[in-house]
Order: sequence, then C-alpha cells, then structure tokens
Amino acid sequence: MSAPQGGPATPAAAPRARRVRTLTVVASCLVLLAAAVVFAVRALGQEPTVTLLANWTGTDERNFRESVIEPFERKYHIHVDYQGSSAESQVLGADVEAGTPPDVVVLTGPGELADYARQGQLKPLDDLVPRAGFGASWTTPLDGHVYWFPLKADLKSIVWYPAGTSERQRAEAAGRPGRWCVGMGSGATSGWPGTDWIEDILLQQYGPGTYQRWARGELPWTSKEVRSAWTTWGRLVGAGGDRELVRRALKTPYQDASKPVTGNPRGCTLEHQASFIRNQESWKRADGRYEPSARRIPGARASDAWEVSGDLVALLHDTPEARTLIRHLASAGAQRAWNAEESGFSVSPGAQPAPSDAGAAWHRSLAATLLDDRAVHCFDASDAMPPSVRDAFAEAAIEFLAHPDHLNALLTSLDTLSRTQGLTWVPSVCDRAP
Amino acid sequence: MTPGTRATPPGGDPGQEARAGGRGGDLRQSSDAFRGRAGGNRPGVPSRGTSPDAPAGPAAPGGRPAPAGRRTPAGRPAHLLHRLLPPDRRAPDGGSTTAHDLAVRHRLLLALSALLTLSLFLSYEGVHGDANPLRTSSAPAVLSLDTALYALGQAQRDAGATAPTSDFQKQISVAAQSLAAAAGDDVGGPAGRQALQTVAGLITVYAVKVQQAQLQPADSVLREAYLSYATSVLTDEGSGIQARLKALQGQQRAAVHRQTSFGPLLWLGWTTTLLLALALGAALLETQLFLRRRFRRRYNRGLLAAGALLAAGLAATLLFTVWTHQGMADTRALLDRPLTGRLITDAGQHTASYLAHTGFRASAAVWILIGGILLMALAETGLRQHIDDYRFRTR
Repeated sequence: MSAPQGGPATPAAAPRARRVRTLTVVASCLVLLAAAVVFAVRALGQEPTVTLLANWTGTDERNFRESVIEPFERKYHIHVDYQGSSAESQVLGADVEAGTPPDVVVLTGPGELADYARQGQLKPLDDLVPRAGFGASWTTPLDGHVYWFPLKADLKSIVWYPAGTSERQRAEAAGRPGRWCVGMGSGATSGWPGTDWIEDILLQQYGPGTYQRWARGELPWTSKEVRSAWTTWGRLVGAGGDRELVRRALKTPYQDASKPVTGNPRGCTLEHQASFIRNQESWKRADGRYEPSARRIPGARASDAWEVSGDLVALLHDTPEARTLIRHLASAGAQRAWNAEESGFSVSPGAQPAPSDAGAAWHRSLAATLLDDRAVHCFDASDAMPPSVRDAFAEAAIEFLAHPDHLNALLTSLDTLSRTQGLTWVPSVCDRAP
Repeated sequence: MTPGTRATPPGGDPGQEARAGGRGGDLRQSSDAFRGRAGGNRPGVPSRGTSPDAPAGPAAPGGRPAPAGRRTPAGRPAHLLHRLLPPDRRAPDGGSTTAHDLAVRHRLLLALSALLTLSLFLSYEGVHGDANPLRTSSAPAVLSLDTALYALGQAQRDAGATAPTSDFQKQISVAAQSLAAAAGDDVGGPAGRQALQTVAGLITVYAVKVQQAQLQPADSVLREAYLSYATSVLTDEGSGIQARLKALQGQQRAAVHRQTSFGPLLWLGWTTTLLLALALGAALLETQLFLRRRFRRRYNRGLLAAGALLAAGLAATLLFTVWTHQGMADTRALLDRPLTGRLITDAGQHTASYLAHTGFRASAAVWILIGGILLMALAETGLRQHIDDYRFRTR
C-alpha cells in the first residue's frame, strides 16, 4: 500500500489544508478583483468626447454650459470639450489647416461657414436637422445641402435706453454723440459694433433690397447708399470729433459700453446693440428698455426691417458623438433651455415658451419680433460676407471712427478686396427681399 | 501498529531515525535522513531530538506535544509562525506528521512568494509607473507653459515700443515654440491640445494687434486702441491668453501632484508588501529550522538562496523606490511655484537631474516578476526532494 500523501495525514489536517488552499485562492481572487476594479474605473472614466468650438465666453459660456452642455453630458454620457474664444475664426482656421478641426463649431458668420462648405470641410446636416424647424434664411441651403442651423439668435436693429427715459429725452440724446454708449473693443474681433451700426443704418435708410445686394457683393462700397450709411454713423457717434469721446469709444470693450448708464450723473443714455446686451449688469440695473433703431436713425425709411444675427452650428468631424450633439443642439428642448437663459433667442418655433410662461416683457417682445412672419429679417451683412471682407470691414470701422477723412480710401480698399476672385458670397441674407 | 499502515517513511520520523541511528537500529532510512546525517549532523554531534514528533519534552494537554518553536533556537519567529498555522498534530495512530508539515510549508512558501511578488510589483509600479510621464511629459509641460507665460510678459513690455522691435518678435517666437513643445508633451490630452491651439490662435491675434498699434503715430488714439485690444487678448479674465495658459498650467501642476504623491493606496500597498516580505522571511527561516530538526540538515541551499534573493530584491526595490520618489518630490517642490527667466532654464536642468535614471529604475519592474518566479522556484527546489520522498515511498 502506498503511503498517503503528506496532506491528509490526519482527519483534522484535511480541513486545514483546504483552509490554506481556500485562503490562497481567495487572496488571489481579491487581488485580481482589485486590479479589475481599478481597470474598470479607469476605462469608465474615459467616456467618449466631442470637441466644440464657439465664441461664447464669460456669462454666455456659463449659461450655455449649464443649460445645454451639462444636460447633454448627463443624458448621453458624452463629454463635451468646449473651447470659447473671441478669436474663434483664427483658431478654427489654424485647426483646419493643421488637420485637427473641432468636431462641432458654432460660428456667427454664414459667410465663413459657406467658405468652409465650399472647401469640403463641413458635413451636410440634412438628416440631422428637422427641415421644418428653422426658417429658410436661418438654414440657407448651399449646393442643395443644409450645412448649418441657428442655436442662438439675436435682434440687432434696436436701441437700448434706461427705463424712465422719455421719448423727448431719447430724441435729444440721439442727436448728441456723447449720449451714445459706444464700445468698439472685442479682442480679436474689435470693430464689429461699428459694422453693426453701419449695416443697420443701410438697412433702415435703403431697405432690404439694397442691403441684400450689398451683402452679396453686388453693391459697391463706394456707392452712394453705403457711403451714406458710413457718414450717418460718423455723425451720430462723433467720428473724428472730441478726442476723449473717440478714445473712449475705441478703447471701451463692447460689453462695458453701457457702464456709464448707471453713473450719476448718467454718462450715456442710448446704446445701439444687439438683444444679448440686456444681460449686462448695467442694463439690468438700469432696467433697460428698447425701441426699434429706425426711430433714431436719420433718414430711416424701411418698414419693419430688422437686422438679426445668429450663432450657427456646423459639423466638421462626422463622429457618432458629434452627430448626437448636433441632434441635441437642434432639438426643441436644448433650444428652449437656451432661450430660457436670456443669453439669446431660439428661432425654432417648437422651442418657444408658452404665452402663459412668465418672462420679462422685453424678452417676450424680442422673441416675437424674431419670429414675426410679417417682418423682414436680414442676417448681419458682415457675418454673411467672406471672412477677409468681414475682417477688413471691422478694421475700417475702427479707423473711420478715428479718421473719418480716410473714408474714401477705406471704401476703395474694401471694394478692391471684395472683387478678389474666389470669395464665397452667401446667395441670400434676408428672408423677404424685393 | 500494523506495518504498512503508518503514514511515515520507513525508518519512521527522522527524529526517531536519529534515535534509531544512535542506537544502531533500523537502516531503512530515507535518503533524506541519510543526507541529514551526512550534511547536517556532523559526526560526533549528538542529535538534539527536538522534533515535535519526538516523545521528549512536555506534552500539551490531550497528549499533544508542545509546539517545537518553544524549544528551538529559532525562538520567536518560529513561534509566531506556529501561531499563524494550526499546530502540528500527531496522526491519530501516533504516526509522523512530517509529510503534512512539509506540504503546509511548501504551500505557504509558494503562496507568500506569489502574493509578495504581486504586491511588490503593483506597489513598485504605483511609484515608478508615474516617473516616466512625469519626466517626459508633465514636468516639461509645466516648464514650457512657464516659458510661454514669461515670454508673453516680456512681449507685452516691448509692445509699447514706438516701432516694431525684434525683441517683441523674438518673445512671440519663444512663446509659440513653447506652446508647440507643450503640445508635444501632450498637455491635458485632446482637451489640452485644443486649448493650446486656441492659445496659439490668440497669440497670433495679439501679435497682429500690437503690430497694428506700432504702425500708428506715437500719440494717436488708434495706437492706444490697438494696444488696448492686444492687451485684452492677452490679459482678459477667463478668456485671455494668460488666463488660459494659467488654467492649463494648473491642470499640469495637478497632474504633477498626482504623479508624485504617495497616497493611501501606495501606503497600503507598501505596508502589505513589507508585511508579506516579513512573513515570507519568517516562513523561510522556520522552514529552514524545521528541516534542520527533521532531516538533520543544517542548511537547505534552495531556501537559503530564496532568503538571499528576497533580502537583496527587497533592498534593491526599496532603494530604487526611495531614490525615484525623492527625485519626484524634489521635482514637485521645484515646479510648485511660477518660474521666470533664468530660473526656468535652471529648473529644467534640475528636473532632468532629479529624474535621471528613473526610466531605468521603472524598467526594473519586470525583474520583480522574474525574481518572484525565481523565488518560488528556489522554494520549490528546496522542498521538492523531501516531499517526493514522502509521497512515493511505499512500506
């Protein structure tokens, strides 16, 4: 008979051996389990990401994150890597050239987007955006495809004033350059508040038809109409006049232009600025009200014509996560959430708050104007122009404010630039133009 | 007792063998017993007869012999191990428990070796695994961002010059190159890369605005305006170049902190490793003493080699870890504050020296696994012969 093996020498030894074996196995399993847990936690931590480039910073960025991005991240478990910069165009240009564009971009200019679409950088959104969701002027088709849609819209043909300012006081203030709150500073895009002025003056003085011809590159910069718009603006804000006034207008960041409204005595009374400016602290404190800019622009003849702007969403990198984000941004829920933040407006009919919903009167009124079918809405012309013309326009506005006597040279230069071959002009900027 | 039913080798327990040998008794001893006498029990040295199987010594209640550890020179470690393991028990028929004792020690040594290897490897990786990214990515990235911030500060100082200056251009180039270096160091992953591209775009805008300002007459409002635009691009709170670079730098400093910290998990890992090493050392010693008692072998070469390997391996890994962690801690202390000018260059050199050889030490992790396998092989070799003798001997 062979001797039993070392282990089961006694009946008590067997459970002991089993205990040792069990302990060894359990310890090994625990170690493996711990390693697996660590690995799983790390793997789960690397959730899919979509990169998004936009121009919102500060309060707008915070509102956008809270009302749109964070709900998206919670719902779809996709991380959104947001970059906001006023130098968005430069950043995007560099990214595209380097071959590493963001997945999704939000740009203010259909002109720039049209340029990228023609280069083949944008992906069509036909199957991602509900066709009936937005008006034709907001989702201008290009070569038979929709490449962008508005996430945020603003009305620009308005003048803000503090509550309690009478009609007479407003009319008097409009005739005095020092009563206008002007701020041309905006970092990389400084000068755009001036272009908004000039565009709106042209629209109000000569109507949507002339405006659209100019925005499409068909009306020369040196034309009587365009020149008139420049000189009207120069007179209103005192271009080349009081040195201190011009310095203040040039150096003040646009978001700080209304700060003197809350001073005592009041530093300025009127501000020609888009609807989003109402979120600035000074206009909140002054309980800002608005009126159509046509009332304060000399020689305004247009009827119910409004300059509008929009932050347009486009897809550059077609990934499942990016498509999910595009669908989310186009959805009524996301647009409504953004609308509710009062950082901007949605032009999606499905995203409008119910009439019974509480909200500031000015907000409801502006939203209604944006969706009014009887009104003519024309997209910000400089945003619709090719990027090089847009940037030169903004630079020219800055120079004109300091040196109005340079106007001829500036307009001639802009004409020369506009005739450059290969520029992409958007076919239509107004929803109804004669 | 019926011959052939005992679970002991012919010749009985080595302890008994010793006594039998002393009396010139049964010569059917196991080869171990012979080797024990030949190698461990030198001629003329009497057997101590301290086996738990030996009848000598005070018996525990119930007739069980008292634990051998109490009476062996091994003293305390053996006693502790006996407390960890169930006490030897004589077979119900009064036979030997040597085969069982060998098997228990065999499994214990292998299990402890395996657990120690795993624990040491994970703990070692926990420290050294971060050394490489710190040396090649995080630390250089912090310095690159410091360089970019410093260069932009210098550029802003030169921006007020009446005409475009080469100093301004040089500082802008330095900033741009530093950003490229930071991007090469993979600052913050894809999000960091996107942020760096944004900053690169803003630096271009900044440089253009400064140049526009410098082209204007010295006292013109346009000059002031362009300079104010440039300054806002550089210094705007939250969205300016400096704010973005500082945010990125904060992330990198946090990464450096993470990589260089010796957190609770690492403390737990190293404490477990040291306890396992102590337990394995004690087990090796006890087994050595056990073999000496039972088989009259003063030394078991396999176990001695395993002990030496354990001591040397543990000392080397501890030393490597202390050196690497010290270098990482020094690096963190150096990078924890904003650096400017010459200090950045010096910090680069210091960091390189602090983290020198960390790559080599990190690559030594694989030797822990090899050492662990060797350790188990040595323990196995040391005990296999004895176990086989008990397993296959018939009676």
